[in-house]
Amino acid sequence: MRFCPYAHRTRLVLRAKGIRHEVININLRNKPEWYYTKHPFGQIPVLENSKCQLIYESVIACEYLDDAYPGRKLYPYDPYERARQKMLLELFCKVPHLTKECLVALRCGRKCADLKLALRQEFCNLEEILGYQNTIFFGGDCISMIDYLFWPWFERLDVYGIADCLNHTPALRLWTAAMKQDPTVCALLIDKNIFLGFLNLYFQNNPDAFDYGLTC
Amino acid sequence: MSGGSARSLAKGSAPPGPVPEGLIRVYSMRFCPFAQRTLLVLKAKGIRHEIININLKNKPEWFFKKNPFGLVPVLENSQGQLIYDSAITCEYLDEEYPGKKLLPDDPYEKACQKMVFELFSKVLTNKKTTFFGGNSLSMIDYLIWPWFEWLEVLELNDCVDHTPKLKLWMAAMREDPAVSALLTEPKALRGFFNLYLQNSPEACDYGL
Repeated sequence: MRFCPYAHRTRLVLRAKGIRHEVININLRNKPEWYYTKHPFGQIPVLENSKCQLIYESVIACEYLDDAYPGRKLYPYDPYERARQKMLLELFCKVPHLTKECLVALRCGRKCADLKLALRQEFCNLEEILGYQNTIFFGGDCISMIDYLFWPWFERLDVYGIADCLNHTPALRLWTAAMKQDPTVCALLIDKNIFLGFLNLYFQNNPDAFDYGLTC
Repeated sequence: MSGGSARSLAKGSAPPGPVPEGLIRVYSMRFCPFAQRTLLVLKAKGIRHEIININLKNKPEWFFKKNPFGLVPVLENSQGQLIYDSAITCEYLDEEYPGKKLLPDDPYEKACQKMVFELFSKVLTNKKTTFFGGNSLSMIDYLIWPWFEWLEVLELNDCVDHTPKLKLWMAAMREDPAVSALLTEPKALRGFFNLYLQNSPEACDYGL
């Protein structure tokens, strides 16, 4: 689905590694019955290859692509550095839920000061990491897997209306600026107006929300 | 390899020194199933290691420098590198050390193992609702319960820090009339288990 942050991770990795792929978008509010043969709970993203092998869970799919395809490796080679990136992912784990809760609260006209505070705290933890490492990206001075795994939620902060949560985290702001310079991130950046159009329809429970902005 | 039976270190204890070369240290707790994962991999791969047990009910202050979450297991090597989270420690050991590979080489087979693990972890952490099927007890809770009753009996449930929702679920289950009517006396279960392990034909009738 064009606006799903989890699927966005997988599309970033496919692009970053130059892997030839086709995309099938699923209407998440009206899933085709056959889709449950691809994932037991009908979630996305799911990878399917020509051997009919199915891989789901965004992080597992991303690692699979890094392992299975040649060329640029997004995870480091060193086992400790690989473990570090996976530990960083643990540090990030509350961000998706909090950003979604903020979005829903704002869209339903509720206050979300507590949620934003909690999100800011998570961002402070990430800021500390960047400060301690003194690197631009989370994996070092070059972009790597962990940065792509984090990115989709940061790209959405603005369109969700919570970009001010980065106000107290300068290193994180520098990181988002650096990410926007990355060719892969750039190529997949979602147009703000189209995203807003999607969100408007989505929160009106319009089943056509997912196809907003498509001309055909 | 030492320390598996050592008393745990608690608040007020001195922090341990650096890890000697050629050894890897694991911070553990004798009854923690998550730490047991790491110990299994260390054993299976024949990795020389030392064990420091941590008192999880009275944690040493220095332990939070090893893992900010204050949980076991944690690995520490002679370079002072720290790795935490049971699954991450296990994968690290498999990648870093030679010998038999525990994770498959094939990317798809490896992904399959991770997908199964995710499903299993979801069962363990049960994030969303009180019971596994929703907000009231239903079939799935009865289907899962027996294994958790076993865990309690075998004293493998002390890692409450990891899974407070699971602890709440277990407490809620114990209040169910069906569950409480059929609760097996821990001594009896243990007695059965001991005889069973000895392949005794008397095992099944233990206590009668």
